Amino acid sequence: MKSDIYNWFFLILKRDLLIAFRRSSTYITPLIFFLIVVSFFPLALSPDQDFLRSLAPGVIWIAALLSSLLAVETIFSEDFKDGTLDEFFVTNEPSFVLVFAKVLCHWLITGLPILLASAISSIILYLPASSFLPMICSLILGTFFMSLLGAMGAALSLGRSAILSSIIVLPFSIPTLLMGTAVVSSAINNQDYSGFLLIMGAMLAIGIPGLCLLTVEAILLNYE
Amino acid sequence: MGSPPLFFQWSSKALPWLAIISIIVFSIGMVWGIFYSPTDYKQGDVYRIIYIHVPSAILGQSILMFMAICGFITVVWRVKISGMLIKSAASIGASFTLIALITGSIWGKPTWGTWWVWDARLTSTLILFFIYTAIIGLHSSLDDKTKADRAISILSLVGIAIIPIIKKSVDWWYTLHQPSTFTLSSAPSMAPDMYQPLLVCVLGFYLIFAFLLTMNLRAEIVFREKNKTWVSKQYLNRQKNDK
Repeated sequence: MKSDIYNWFFLILKRDLLIAFRRSSTYITPLIFFLIVVSFFPLALSPDQDFLRSLAPGVIWIAALLSSLLAVETIFSEDFKDGTLDEFFVTNEPSFVLVFAKVLCHWLITGLPILLASAISSIILYLPASSFLPMICSLILGTFFMSLLGAMGAALSLGRSAILSSIIVLPFSIPTLLMGTAVVSSAINNQDYSGFLLIMGAMLAIGIPGLCLLTVEAILLNYE
Repeated sequence: MGSPPLFFQWSSKALPWLAIISIIVFSIGMVWGIFYSPTDYKQGDVYRIIYIHVPSAILGQSILMFMAICGFITVVWRVKISGMLIKSAASIGASFTLIALITGSIWGKPTWGTWWVWDARLTSTLILFFIYTAIIGLHSSLDDKTKADRAISILSLVGIAIIPIIKKSVDWWYTLHQPSTFTLSSAPSMAPDMYQPLLVCVLGFYLIFAFLLTMNLRAEIVFREKNKTWVSKQYLNRQKNDK
Protein backbone atom coordinates (compact mmCIF):
# COMPACT_ATOMS: atom_id res chain seq x y z
CA MET A 1 0.00 0.00 0.00
CA LYS A 2 1.21 3.49 -0.80
CA SER A 3 1.05 4.73 2.76
CA ASP A 4 3.28 1.85 3.89
CA ILE A 5 6.12 2.96 1.63
CA TYR A 6 5.85 6.55 2.88
CA ASN A 7 5.80 5.32 6.49
CA TRP A 8 8.90 3.23 5.84
CA PHE A 9 10.67 6.11 4.10
CA PHE A 10 9.97 8.60 6.87
CA LEU A 11 10.84 6.05 9.54
CA ILE A 12 14.31 5.55 8.12
CA LEU A 13 14.75 9.26 7.45
CA LYS A 14 13.72 10.29 10.94
CA ARG A 15 15.88 7.61 12.53
CA ASP A 16 19.00 8.55 10.60
CA LEU A 17 18.51 12.28 11.15
CA LEU A 18 18.04 11.67 14.88
CA ILE A 19 21.24 9.62 15.06
CA ALA A 20 23.13 12.23 13.04
CA PHE A 21 21.93 15.16 15.15
CA ARG A 22 22.94 13.51 18.41
CA ARG A 23 26.54 14.19 17.46
CA SER A 24 26.95 17.79 16.37
CA SER A 25 30.23 16.96 14.66
CA THR A 26 28.30 15.16 11.91
CA TYR A 27 26.93 18.33 10.40
CA ILE A 28 29.51 20.82 11.63
CA THR A 29 32.51 18.97 10.16
CA PRO A 30 31.56 19.42 6.47
CA LEU A 31 31.03 23.13 7.07
CA ILE A 32 34.36 23.70 8.82
CA PHE A 33 36.28 21.42 6.46
CA PHE A 34 34.90 23.33 3.46
CA LEU A 35 35.98 26.67 4.90
CA ILE A 36 39.44 25.36 5.78
CA VAL A 37 40.02 23.96 2.27
CA VAL A 38 38.81 27.21 0.70
CA SER A 39 41.13 29.24 2.96
CA PHE A 40 44.14 27.23 1.89
CA PHE A 41 43.96 28.47 -1.69
CA PRO A 42 44.53 32.18 -1.02
CA LEU A 43 47.17 31.23 1.56
CA ALA A 44 49.05 28.86 -0.74
CA LEU A 45 48.65 30.70 -4.02
CA SER A 46 47.91 34.40 -3.98
CA PRO A 47 45.38 36.65 -2.19
CA ASP A 48 45.00 38.85 -5.25
CA GLN A 49 41.34 39.72 -5.88
CA ASP A 50 41.19 39.09 -9.61
CA PHE A 51 43.18 35.90 -9.30
CA LEU A 52 40.85 34.51 -6.62
CA ARG A 53 37.79 35.56 -8.59
CA SER A 54 39.00 33.52 -11.57
CA LEU A 55 39.74 30.54 -9.34
CA ALA A 56 36.58 30.77 -7.27
CA PRO A 57 34.25 28.36 -9.17
CA GLY A 58 36.83 25.58 -9.17
CA VAL A 59 37.90 26.09 -5.57
CA ILE A 60 34.34 26.05 -4.27
CA TRP A 61 33.50 22.93 -6.25
CA ILE A 62 36.64 21.02 -5.24
CA ALA A 63 35.94 21.85 -1.59
CA ALA A 64 32.32 20.70 -2.06
CA LEU A 65 33.40 17.36 -3.55
CA LEU A 66 35.89 16.63 -0.81
CA SER A 67 33.57 17.72 2.02
CA SER A 68 30.67 15.63 0.78
CA LEU A 69 32.85 12.53 0.83
CA LEU A 70 33.84 13.02 4.47
CA ALA A 71 30.85 11.51 6.23
CA VAL A 72 30.21 8.86 3.62
CA GLU A 73 31.53 5.76 5.38
CA THR A 74 29.09 6.18 8.22
CA ILE A 75 26.04 5.85 5.94
CA PHE A 76 26.01 2.06 6.18
CA SER A 77 28.93 0.96 8.33
CA GLU A 78 27.44 1.53 11.78
CA ASP A 79 24.19 -0.19 10.86
CA PHE A 80 26.12 -3.00 9.21
CA LYS A 81 28.32 -3.58 12.27
CA ASP A 82 25.54 -3.81 14.83
CA GLY A 83 23.20 -5.82 12.63
CA THR A 84 20.50 -3.21 12.05
CA LEU A 85 21.10 -3.37 8.30
CA ASP A 86 20.35 -7.11 8.39
CA GLU A 87 17.06 -6.33 10.11
CA PHE A 88 16.18 -3.78 7.47
CA PHE A 89 16.74 -6.29 4.69
CA VAL A 90 14.89 -9.08 6.48
CA THR A 91 11.69 -7.05 6.53
CA ASN A 92 9.81 -7.11 3.25
CA GLU A 93 10.00 -3.37 2.80
CA PRO A 94 11.59 -2.07 -0.42
CA SER A 95 15.35 -1.70 0.04
CA PHE A 96 15.53 0.95 -2.68
CA VAL A 97 13.50 3.25 -0.44
CA LEU A 98 15.85 2.48 2.47
CA VAL A 99 18.90 3.49 0.43
CA PHE A 100 17.21 6.64 -0.89
CA ALA A 101 16.18 7.68 2.62
CA LYS A 102 19.76 7.23 3.83
CA VAL A 103 21.13 9.19 0.87
CA LEU A 104 18.65 12.00 1.52
CA CYS A 105 19.65 12.08 5.18
CA HIS A 106 23.32 12.22 4.22
CA TRP A 107 22.59 15.08 1.86
CA LEU A 108 20.66 16.98 4.53
CA ILE A 109 23.53 16.73 6.98
CA THR A 110 26.38 17.41 4.53
CA GLY A 111 24.86 19.18 1.52
CA LEU A 112 23.06 21.92 3.44
CA PRO A 113 26.13 22.87 5.53
CA ILE A 114 28.10 22.89 2.27
CA LEU A 115 25.59 25.33 0.78
CA LEU A 116 26.01 27.61 3.78
CA ALA A 117 29.79 27.33 3.61
CA SER A 118 29.77 28.08 -0.12
CA ALA A 119 27.75 31.22 0.52
CA ILE A 120 30.43 32.39 2.95
CA SER A 121 33.20 31.32 0.57
CA SER A 122 31.70 33.20 -2.35
CA ILE A 123 32.16 36.39 -0.35
CA ILE A 124 35.72 35.69 0.73
CA LEU A 125 36.70 34.61 -2.80
CA TYR A 126 35.23 37.79 -4.31
CA LEU A 127 32.66 35.96 -6.42
CA PRO A 128 30.32 38.48 -8.13
CA ALA A 129 26.81 38.57 -6.70
CA SER A 130 25.17 37.68 -10.02
CA SER A 131 26.65 34.21 -9.90
CA PHE A 132 25.48 33.46 -6.37
CA LEU A 133 22.11 31.92 -7.29
CA PRO A 134 23.47 29.72 -10.14
CA MET A 135 26.22 28.54 -7.80
CA ILE A 136 23.69 27.52 -5.14
CA CYS A 137 21.53 25.73 -7.74
CA SER A 138 24.48 23.82 -9.16
CA LEU A 139 25.68 22.89 -5.67
CA ILE A 140 22.25 21.57 -4.69
CA LEU A 141 22.16 19.28 -7.74
CA GLY A 142 25.84 18.39 -7.51
CA THR A 143 26.07 17.58 -3.81
CA PHE A 144 23.01 15.35 -4.04
CA PHE A 145 24.67 13.43 -6.88
CA MET A 146 27.82 13.22 -4.73
CA SER A 147 25.80 11.76 -1.87
CA LEU A 148 24.43 9.14 -4.28
CA LEU A 149 27.91 8.27 -5.53
CA GLY A 150 29.29 8.30 -2.00
CA ALA A 151 26.60 5.88 -0.84
CA MET A 152 27.49 3.51 -3.67
CA GLY A 153 31.19 3.78 -2.83
CA ALA A 154 30.46 3.17 0.86
CA ALA A 155 28.37 0.10 -0.01
CA LEU A 156 31.11 -1.31 -2.24
CA SER A 157 33.78 -0.87 0.41
CA LEU A 158 31.61 -1.90 3.38
CA GLY A 159 33.82 -3.33 6.07
CA ARG A 160 37.01 -2.20 4.38
CA SER A 161 39.13 0.95 4.41
CA ALA A 162 37.51 4.28 3.78
CA ILE A 163 40.17 5.49 1.33
CA LEU A 164 39.15 2.79 -1.13
CA SER A 165 35.66 4.24 -1.38
CA SER A 166 37.10 7.68 -2.12
CA ILE A 167 39.29 6.29 -4.90
CA ILE A 168 36.27 4.54 -6.37
CA VAL A 169 33.96 7.53 -6.14
CA LEU A 170 36.18 10.45 -7.17
CA PRO A 171 36.74 9.53 -10.87
CA PHE A 172 32.98 9.22 -11.35
CA SER A 173 32.39 12.63 -9.82
CA ILE A 174 34.43 14.41 -12.49
CA PRO A 175 31.46 15.03 -14.85
CA THR A 176 29.60 16.68 -11.94
CA LEU A 177 32.67 18.81 -11.24
CA LEU A 178 32.94 19.87 -14.90
CA MET A 179 29.27 20.79 -15.19
CA GLY A 180 29.17 22.58 -11.84
CA THR A 181 32.18 24.76 -12.53
CA ALA A 182 30.82 25.46 -16.03
CA VAL A 183 27.61 26.79 -14.47
CA VAL A 184 29.44 29.18 -12.16
CA SER A 185 32.00 30.27 -14.78
CA SER A 186 29.37 31.07 -17.39
CA ALA A 187 27.31 32.91 -14.77
CA ILE A 188 30.35 35.09 -14.02
CA ASN A 189 30.70 35.86 -17.74
CA ASN A 190 26.94 36.60 -18.03
CA GLN A 191 26.42 33.71 -20.44
CA ASP A 192 23.55 31.29 -20.49
CA TYR A 193 24.12 28.60 -17.87
CA SER A 194 20.77 26.80 -18.04
CA GLY A 195 22.07 24.03 -20.32
CA PHE A 196 24.61 22.89 -17.76
CA LEU A 197 22.00 22.90 -14.98
CA LEU A 198 19.72 20.80 -17.17
CA ILE A 199 22.49 18.27 -17.76
CA MET A 200 23.11 18.08 -14.01
CA GLY A 201 19.41 17.54 -13.47
CA ALA A 202 19.45 14.78 -16.09
CA MET A 203 22.35 13.12 -14.31
CA LEU A 204 20.29 13.18 -11.12
CA ALA A 205 17.25 11.80 -12.96
CA ILE A 206 19.25 8.81 -14.16
CA GLY A 207 21.34 8.64 -11.02
CA ILE A 208 18.65 8.41 -8.38
CA PRO A 209 17.05 5.19 -9.63
CA GLY A 210 20.22 3.74 -11.15
CA LEU A 211 22.67 4.40 -8.33
CA CYS A 212 20.19 3.50 -5.57
CA LEU A 213 19.49 0.14 -7.22
CA LEU A 214 23.20 -0.50 -7.72
CA THR A 215 23.84 0.45 -4.07
CA VAL A 216 21.25 -2.11 -2.95
CA GLU A 217 23.05 -4.72 -5.10
CA ALA A 218 26.39 -3.72 -3.57
CA ILE A 219 25.09 -4.03 0.01
CA LEU A 220 23.55 -7.43 -0.76
CA LEU A 221 27.01 -8.61 -1.86
CA ASN A 222 27.93 -8.71 1.82
CA TYR A 223 25.08 -11.03 2.67
CA GLU A 224 25.99 -14.07 0.62
CA MET B 1 29.48 -21.78 -23.44
CA GLY B 2 28.37 -20.36 -20.11
CA SER B 3 29.96 -23.14 -18.12
CA PRO B 4 33.66 -22.59 -17.37
CA PRO B 5 34.85 -26.15 -18.14
CA LEU B 6 33.00 -26.20 -21.48
CA PHE B 7 34.39 -22.82 -22.44
CA PHE B 8 37.87 -24.04 -21.53
CA GLN B 9 37.56 -27.11 -23.79
CA TRP B 10 36.13 -25.09 -26.66
CA SER B 11 38.76 -22.38 -26.38
CA SER B 12 41.60 -24.91 -26.29
CA LYS B 13 40.59 -25.92 -29.80
CA ALA B 14 39.79 -22.41 -31.05
CA LEU B 15 42.80 -20.61 -29.58
CA PRO B 16 45.43 -21.52 -32.24
CA TRP B 17 43.10 -20.34 -35.04
CA LEU B 18 42.27 -17.13 -33.18
CA ALA B 19 45.98 -16.50 -32.57
CA ILE B 20 46.89 -17.01 -36.23
CA ILE B 21 44.06 -14.88 -37.63
CA SER B 22 44.61 -12.03 -35.18
CA ILE B 23 48.38 -11.91 -35.71
CA ILE B 24 47.95 -11.97 -39.51
CA VAL B 25 45.36 -9.17 -39.64
CA PHE B 26 47.27 -7.12 -37.06
CA SER B 27 50.53 -7.45 -38.98
CA ILE B 28 48.91 -6.61 -42.33
CA GLY B 29 47.33 -3.49 -40.86
CA MET B 30 50.48 -2.29 -39.11
CA VAL B 31 52.89 -2.95 -41.98
CA TRP B 32 50.52 -1.45 -44.54
CA GLY B 33 49.88 1.60 -42.38
CA ILE B 34 53.37 2.29 -41.11
CA PHE B 35 55.35 1.51 -44.25
CA TYR B 36 53.05 1.77 -47.25
CA SER B 37 50.64 4.62 -46.59
CA PRO B 38 51.29 8.02 -48.21
CA THR B 39 53.14 10.80 -46.38
CA ASP B 40 50.96 13.56 -44.96
CA TYR B 41 51.58 16.96 -46.56
CA LYS B 42 51.38 18.83 -43.25
CA GLN B 43 52.72 16.46 -40.61
CA GLY B 44 55.16 14.40 -42.64
CA ASP B 45 55.79 10.89 -41.43
CA VAL B 46 55.10 11.49 -37.74
CA TYR B 47 51.35 10.99 -38.33
CA ARG B 48 51.96 7.24 -38.80
CA ILE B 49 51.57 6.81 -35.04
CA ILE B 50 47.86 7.16 -35.81
CA TYR B 51 47.85 3.45 -36.67
CA ILE B 52 48.62 2.65 -33.03
CA HIS B 53 46.95 5.60 -31.32
CA VAL B 54 43.46 5.48 -32.86
CA PRO B 55 42.87 1.71 -32.59
CA SER B 56 44.06 1.70 -28.95
CA ALA B 57 41.72 4.55 -28.09
CA ILE B 58 38.77 2.87 -29.84
CA LEU B 59 39.51 -0.41 -28.05
CA GLY B 60 39.88 1.33 -24.68
CA GLN B 61 36.35 2.69 -24.94
CA SER B 62 34.81 -0.43 -26.51
CA ILE B 63 36.25 -2.66 -23.80
CA LEU B 64 34.52 -0.60 -21.09
CA MET B 65 31.23 -0.94 -22.98
CA PHE B 66 31.86 -4.69 -23.24
CA MET B 67 32.54 -4.81 -19.51
CA ALA B 68 29.33 -2.93 -18.78
CA ILE B 69 27.27 -5.39 -20.86
CA CYS B 70 28.94 -8.34 -19.10
CA GLY B 71 28.33 -6.56 -15.81
CA PHE B 72 24.65 -6.27 -16.56
CA ILE B 73 24.48 -9.99 -17.41
CA THR B 74 26.35 -10.88 -14.21
CA VAL B 75 24.14 -8.79 -11.95
CA VAL B 76 20.82 -9.78 -13.52
CA TRP B 77 21.34 -13.45 -14.43
CA ARG B 78 24.23 -14.35 -12.07
CA VAL B 79 26.23 -15.99 -14.88
CA LYS B 80 29.67 -16.89 -13.52
CA ILE B 81 31.57 -16.63 -16.76
CA SER B 82 30.47 -13.10 -17.57
CA GLY B 83 31.82 -12.05 -14.19
CA MET B 84 35.19 -13.59 -15.03
CA LEU B 85 35.08 -11.85 -18.43
CA ILE B 86 34.92 -8.43 -16.77
CA LYS B 87 37.98 -9.14 -14.69
CA SER B 88 39.89 -10.56 -17.66
CA ALA B 89 39.02 -7.60 -19.87
CA ALA B 90 39.80 -4.89 -17.30
CA SER B 91 43.59 -5.09 -17.45
CA ILE B 92 43.55 -5.27 -21.25
CA GLY B 93 41.33 -2.20 -21.44
CA ALA B 94 43.54 -0.29 -19.02
CA SER B 95 46.62 -1.16 -21.10
CA PHE B 96 45.02 -0.01 -24.36
CA THR B 97 43.89 3.26 -22.77
CA LEU B 98 47.40 3.83 -21.41
CA ILE B 99 48.90 3.11 -24.85
CA ALA B 100 46.47 5.60 -26.39
CA LEU B 101 47.44 8.27 -23.84
CA ILE B 102 51.19 7.71 -24.26
CA THR B 103 51.17 7.50 -28.08
CA GLY B 104 48.95 10.57 -28.10
CA SER B 105 51.54 12.48 -26.03
CA ILE B 106 54.33 11.32 -28.33
CA TRP B 107 52.31 12.46 -31.35
CA GLY B 108 51.39 15.74 -29.70
CA LYS B 109 54.93 16.87 -28.95
CA PRO B 110 56.11 17.44 -32.56
CA THR B 111 52.71 18.48 -33.93
CA TRP B 112 51.13 20.58 -31.15
CA GLY B 113 54.35 21.48 -29.35
CA THR B 114 53.27 20.05 -26.03
CA TRP B 115 53.25 16.65 -24.31
CA TRP B 116 49.89 17.27 -22.68
CA VAL B 117 47.01 19.72 -22.73
CA TRP B 118 43.98 19.67 -20.45
CA ASP B 119 41.38 19.62 -23.20
CA ALA B 120 38.14 17.65 -23.15
CA ARG B 121 39.18 14.46 -24.98
CA LEU B 122 42.55 13.96 -23.28
CA THR B 123 41.09 14.66 -19.84
CA SER B 124 38.13 12.34 -20.31
CA THR B 125 40.44 9.57 -21.60
CA LEU B 126 42.54 10.06 -18.47
CA ILE B 127 39.34 9.67 -16.43
CA LEU B 128 38.64 6.47 -18.38
CA PHE B 129 42.05 5.19 -17.27
CA PHE B 130 41.25 6.05 -13.64
CA ILE B 131 37.95 4.18 -13.92
CA TYR B 132 39.83 1.11 -15.15
CA THR B 133 42.29 1.31 -12.26
CA ALA B 134 39.41 1.74 -9.78
CA ILE B 135 37.78 -1.42 -11.18
CA ILE B 136 41.04 -3.42 -11.05
CA GLY B 137 41.78 -2.11 -7.53
CA LEU B 138 38.33 -2.97 -6.21
CA HIS B 139 38.51 -6.52 -7.60
CA SER B 140 41.91 -7.19 -6.07
CA SER B 141 40.83 -5.83 -2.68
CA LEU B 142 38.00 -8.35 -2.23
CA ASP B 143 38.95 -11.89 -1.27
CA ASP B 144 35.74 -13.63 -2.26
CA LYS B 145 36.11 -13.52 -6.04
CA THR B 146 32.43 -14.17 -6.84
CA LYS B 147 31.56 -11.17 -4.70
CA ALA B 148 34.36 -9.21 -6.33
CA ASP B 149 32.92 -9.98 -9.79
CA ARG B 150 29.56 -8.53 -8.81
CA ALA B 151 31.20 -5.48 -7.26
CA ILE B 152 33.08 -4.65 -10.47
CA SER B 153 29.92 -5.32 -12.51
CA ILE B 154 28.33 -2.48 -10.55
CA LEU B 155 31.33 -0.21 -11.09
CA SER B 156 31.49 -0.83 -14.84
CA LEU B 157 27.76 -0.11 -15.16
CA VAL B 158 28.38 3.29 -13.55
CA GLY B 159 31.56 3.84 -15.56
CA ILE B 160 29.70 3.47 -18.84
CA ALA B 161 28.58 7.08 -18.33
CA ILE B 162 32.06 8.39 -19.27
CA ILE B 163 31.93 6.92 -22.79
CA PRO B 164 29.45 9.34 -24.37
CA ILE B 165 31.35 12.19 -22.72
CA ILE B 166 34.60 11.07 -24.39
CA LYS B 167 33.00 10.52 -27.76
CA LYS B 168 31.08 13.76 -27.84
CA SER B 169 33.63 15.93 -26.00
CA VAL B 170 35.33 16.96 -29.22
CA ASP B 171 31.98 18.06 -30.65
CA TRP B 172 30.68 19.86 -27.57
CA TRP B 173 33.78 21.85 -26.64
CA TYR B 174 36.37 23.53 -28.76
CA THR B 175 39.45 21.43 -28.17
CA LEU B 176 42.96 21.04 -29.44
CA HIS B 177 42.26 17.41 -30.34
CA GLN B 178 40.74 17.04 -33.81
CA PRO B 179 37.10 16.01 -34.27
CA SER B 180 36.10 12.48 -35.25
CA THR B 181 37.21 11.36 -38.69
CA PHE B 182 34.71 8.55 -38.96
CA THR B 183 31.04 9.29 -38.50
CA LEU B 184 28.01 7.24 -39.45
CA SER B 185 26.52 9.95 -41.64
CA SER B 186 29.27 11.37 -43.84
CA ALA B 187 32.35 10.28 -45.77
CA PRO B 188 35.63 10.24 -43.84
CA SER B 189 37.72 13.37 -43.99
CA MET B 190 40.92 11.38 -44.56
CA ALA B 191 42.31 10.19 -47.88
CA PRO B 192 41.31 6.59 -48.73
CA ASP B 193 44.97 5.57 -48.88
CA MET B 194 45.26 6.56 -45.23
CA TYR B 195 42.05 5.35 -43.70
CA GLN B 196 41.94 1.92 -45.33
CA PRO B 197 44.98 0.65 -43.40
CA LEU B 198 43.50 2.37 -40.33
CA LEU B 199 40.34 0.28 -40.61
CA VAL B 200 42.41 -2.88 -41.00
CA CYS B 201 44.42 -1.87 -37.91
CA VAL B 202 41.24 -1.36 -35.91
CA LEU B 203 40.04 -4.82 -36.94
CA GLY B 204 43.45 -6.26 -36.08
CA PHE B 205 43.36 -4.65 -32.64
CA TYR B 206 39.88 -6.06 -32.00
CA LEU B 207 41.11 -9.55 -32.94
CA ILE B 208 44.17 -9.17 -30.71
CA PHE B 209 41.83 -8.15 -27.89
CA ALA B 210 39.75 -11.29 -28.47
CA PHE B 211 42.91 -13.39 -28.36
CA LEU B 212 44.25 -11.76 -25.18
CA LEU B 213 40.81 -11.93 -23.57
CA THR B 214 40.57 -15.67 -24.27
CA MET B 215 44.02 -16.25 -22.78
CA ASN B 216 43.20 -14.17 -19.68
CA LEU B 217 39.84 -15.89 -19.28
CA ARG B 218 41.39 -19.33 -19.48
CA ALA B 219 43.91 -18.41 -16.81
CA GLU B 220 41.16 -16.95 -14.64
CA ILE B 221 38.98 -20.08 -15.04
CA VAL B 222 41.82 -22.42 -14.06
CA PHE B 223 42.65 -20.20 -11.07
CA ARG B 224 39.07 -20.07 -9.82
CA GLU B 225 38.35 -23.76 -10.37
CA LYS B 226 41.71 -25.08 -9.28
CA ASN B 227 40.16 -27.37 -6.67
CA LYS B 228 37.81 -29.03 -9.13
CA THR B 229 38.55 -32.44 -10.64
CA TRP B 230 38.21 -31.33 -14.24
CA VAL B 231 41.25 -29.09 -13.86
CA SER B 232 43.48 -31.85 -12.53
CA LYS B 233 42.12 -34.25 -15.16
CA GLN B 234 42.88 -31.68 -17.86
CA TYR B 235 46.45 -31.26 -16.79
CA LEU B 236 47.06 -34.82 -15.65
CA ASN B 237 45.89 -36.05 -19.06
CA ARG B 238 48.29 -33.74 -20.83
CA GLN B 239 51.17 -34.87 -18.70
CA LYS B 240 50.32 -38.49 -19.45
CA ASN B 241 50.27 -37.80 -23.19
CA ASP B 242 53.53 -35.89 -23.06
CA LYS B 243 55.23 -38.81 -21.43
